Amino acid sequence: MATITASAGRRRTASDTSLFAHLDLALLTLPIAISALGLLMIFDASRHETALGGLARLYYVERQGVAVVLGLIAMGVTMAIDYRRIRDAWPLVYLAIVPLLVGVVVLGRNHNGAQAWFQVGPFQFQPSEIAKVVVVVAIAGYCHQHRGDLDAWRVGVAVGLTGVVMAIVYAQHDLGTMLVIMVCAAAVLVIAGLKPVHIVVLLLLAASLVGAAVVTGKVHSYQLDRLTSFANQSTPRVPAEDQTPTQFNLGASKAAIASGGFEGAGFGRGLQTKNGFVPEQHTDFIFTAVGEDLGFVGGATLLLLYALLAWRLWRIALLSSDFFGTLVAIGVLAMFAIEVFENVGMTMGIMPITGIPLPFMSYGGSAVITSFIAVGLVLNVHMRRFS
Amino acid sequence: MSDNSRVRVSIVGVVIVALFASLFARLWFLQMGPEQKLGRVVSTLSTRVIQTESPRGEILDRNGKVLAQDVAAWGVTVARDLGPKTRARVLGQLSEVLGINEKILRANYESDRQSPLMPAIVALRVPLAQQLAIREHREDYPGVNVVGLTIRSYAYDGLASQVLGYVGEIGADQLKQLKSKGYQAGDVVGRDGVEAAYESVLRGKPRRVTVQVDPTGKQIGPPVNVDPGTVGDNVKLTIDIKVQKAAESALAQGILAAHTFQDQSKEAVAVGYKTLQPTGGAVVVLDVHDGSVLAMASNPTYPLSWWVGGISNDHFALLSNAGAQNPLLNRATEGQYAPGSTFKLVPSIALNQYNVLGASTYVNDNGSVRLEGSTFTNDNGTRNGSVNLQRALTVSSDVYFYNAGNDFWKIWQLDPQRGLGIQHVASQLGFGQPTGIELGDAAGRIPDPAWKAAFANANYKSAQAKHEHAIWYPADNIFASVGQGDDFVTPLQLANAYACFANGGTVWTPHVGQVVTNPMTKQVVERYAPKARGKIDIPPYTYSQIAGGFAGAVSDKAGTAYQAFQGLFVPVAGKTGTAQVPGKGPTSLFASYFPVGDPQYAVVAVVEQGGHGAQTAAPIVRQVIESIKNLPPTPIPTRSTGKD
Repeated sequence: MATITASAGRRRTASDTSLFAHLDLALLTLPIAISALGLLMIFDASRHETALGGLARLYYVERQGVAVVLGLIAMGVTMAIDYRRIRDAWPLVYLAIVPLLVGVVVLGRNHNGAQAWFQVGPFQFQPSEIAKVVVVVAIAGYCHQHRGDLDAWRVGVAVGLTGVVMAIVYAQHDLGTMLVIMVCAAAVLVIAGLKPVHIVVLLLLAASLVGAAVVTGKVHSYQLDRLTSFANQSTPRVPAEDQTPTQFNLGASKAAIASGGFEGAGFGRGLQTKNGFVPEQHTDFIFTAVGEDLGFVGGATLLLLYALLAWRLWRIALLSSDFFGTLVAIGVLAMFAIEVFENVGMTMGIMPITGIPLPFMSYGGSAVITSFIAVGLVLNVHMRRFS
Repeated sequence: MSDNSRVRVSIVGVVIVALFASLFARLWFLQMGPEQKLGRVVSTLSTRVIQTESPRGEILDRNGKVLAQDVAAWGVTVARDLGPKTRARVLGQLSEVLGINEKILRANYESDRQSPLMPAIVALRVPLAQQLAIREHREDYPGVNVVGLTIRSYAYDGLASQVLGYVGEIGADQLKQLKSKGYQAGDVVGRDGVEAAYESVLRGKPRRVTVQVDPTGKQIGPPVNVDPGTVGDNVKLTIDIKVQKAAESALAQGILAAHTFQDQSKEAVAVGYKTLQPTGGAVVVLDVHDGSVLAMASNPTYPLSWWVGGISNDHFALLSNAGAQNPLLNRATEGQYAPGSTFKLVPSIALNQYNVLGASTYVNDNGSVRLEGSTFTNDNGTRNGSVNLQRALTVSSDVYFYNAGNDFWKIWQLDPQRGLGIQHVASQLGFGQPTGIELGDAAGRIPDPAWKAAFANANYKSAQAKHEHAIWYPADNIFASVGQGDDFVTPLQLANAYACFANGGTVWTPHVGQVVTNPMTKQVVERYAPKARGKIDIPPYTYSQIAGGFAGAVSDKAGTAYQAFQGLFVPVAGKTGTAQVPGKGPTSLFASYFPVGDPQYAVVAVVEQGGHGAQTAAPIVRQVIESIKNLPPTPIPTRSTGKD
């Protein structure tokens, strides 16, 4: 009897009015755990980079640490605001990001460049990262507003809203982020009740756009190089000097992961990681450090953590008290899923190389903060589902 | 939530499970399967030997002040193999992040003075924050690298530029000669001045690092082999940077002031009122006791820092344009000028050495003299009355020396050896041949019958013309004795000749190098011993007459430089010179030494198209002497109105 009472007391119920009672602790813990592992692996993977650049050994770790702390704060702030207020204010959220995105492009154009970030003190802020979450909120908000009544015209508006952001991001030469935005928006629209015929039309539209871009040469040579490298993966027999940089990149990346074996070389012991064989290893190719030093055990554990994260997000999509909550949870789920799949996939040679970071792991402040905000939104949906 | 949506969410769940399953599967096969041997990629990496030059030695002035040294600097380089569009984008983004105008970056990239073999250095001394902004966004900066460089740094940038010389990439011809000494393409080598003259000691042994590189050329792993190399030796000069600064400043002011004076040459007066248009000049300060150079100024000049990191095309144009008057030229050693009356030192010694005209013999100077059927006049036709050698030097009587030149010519007809006394003394004093200074210098020219015959032979076609132009006329010898006609000297030769007279007859080899030391052990590697090139006998009476004449030129009220030195409490002896140059304004010269009683330093100033010697060159010398004596500089007079 006593045990039953006790367990009933700890169980969260719908009648409990405290928001924290409905906090999804698993979803809160997972990003923090992955970030902690990320800091360790950045330390591991930046050994060569810091030595070559004459930087302090902890330079990247410290900066990433600051980003994680800022991300946690941003997540807290996101959770403090009732998500339904965010839902109703989606046009404002959307309109706020556009000038930021256009700003970097215009600023870049003035100098004949096209950089994707603002300098904020010692840090660079990349609006295209946060744009991913903004598009999810905007499309979810729009679809929530017209739920059950998503005709061709409204689908057109939603596609237009996404297209504007994608176009500006593309102008910043950020193909990877653009694709992530596209996948997120598509996922939200599909759940929102997109009719099968609309799905077919949109797929055809996307295919013809890609085709037109390739034919008219709007795709940059380095982007093509990356795509063809994916197709023509180098074999170990091709000498390093005869490979294109991307081929080498991919070869080194696969070699690093493969040499990890089941148990891995041990933290800080992997030769390719220690000696900087894999370019961009502390950023986009961080998974190779996990693969080499921690082996299949470490790599699989990390993938499992991401799978758990995906599961919690998916679960909240089903539990949400309103349609907006479901759509946001699906959008965020799609974002993390495509990022993890594309990033880990490219390091293992099953996806083409693009500049998409591994959520919570890759060095890069804007991406980390954005990821925490995204998780905060979904936590928000979960903890207010009874209020 | 509608059932339809619920189904769709479930489908999304299935898709995601499939994605993760494929990742797990791929990871398993990659790490546990046959592909594990992919690790072999390691062995196919290429190695490359990176030869980086060790820091060059420092160049110091005589008081140990560092004039040139190598410092470490972070630079940004851009690869040479980028397409035009990518390059434009990269330069635009660099402009944004570095805060440097894109035009400057492009100019640096396109500079012809940068090695086409290596990535172009577009920015130097890049702060850490900006280096990191680039490093952290590698994908935004294709072909861009942040590299540690050693660059030449000049604490007194703009001073002694021609003396110090610059460093630059080794030329193809030079490389052929120096290949055996371990130089390779792209190496930096001294291209002029002290940097070139002391190249072998300034250059360190290069550091050779063998590294493994990936296809982008980025180093991978620790170096395979390191040969650390050694730092170059330091060279201490005889230059005193304080005096050098005063000399350059005085020269620049003097040239500026001369622009306000009327050009009184016949050609200029004929076309109306015209100011002088000086195009450059030089100052030399020598220690009369060992030939060491205290200061050597050349104008126009430029800052050596222009060369650092590859000179821009704009700056190179400023050095090489026709209108720029060649700032690279060291006019003190390479500029060749008619010496005018400053040359009278030579006939003054010759007259007595060859016993032609006694020092005490008086000549009547009526402002002009008729010799061998031609009339020779003083500058401006001044009548100086009865003058002996001393007086002739003080008042600069040309008539006295016209007579001397003519007398030598007459003797030459009977006794060619004795008749060429002026030419012999000129040669003994070091004219007509390089002084032997380690920087290298021009020979100048002292004409004699042999030279004239050779010149005619080389430049005229018919036998008749060759014969006519080979004749040694009285005028040839007469003009030679007053530093006109075909006489050419460098400012350094002139200073060295006056230094020789001042020290009683020893001709030293002028030099700027003093001591070479090893920067690590602080030990002296080599010390420059003063080298005497020759000796000329100047009897005491001759010496006192000439010295008195020079002293009078400065201190006698009738002296040509009296006004310029009025009020200076340092006893100076000197001679003004105003050399006529066909088609141009006259060259202004002043050659001097001081203090009169116990000479220490010889100072010479030469200004191209600078007018009278007393007008432009003498005030420059005065400022230089004042700086050596730690006196406040006397402003160089200008004429702001047209009245002369």
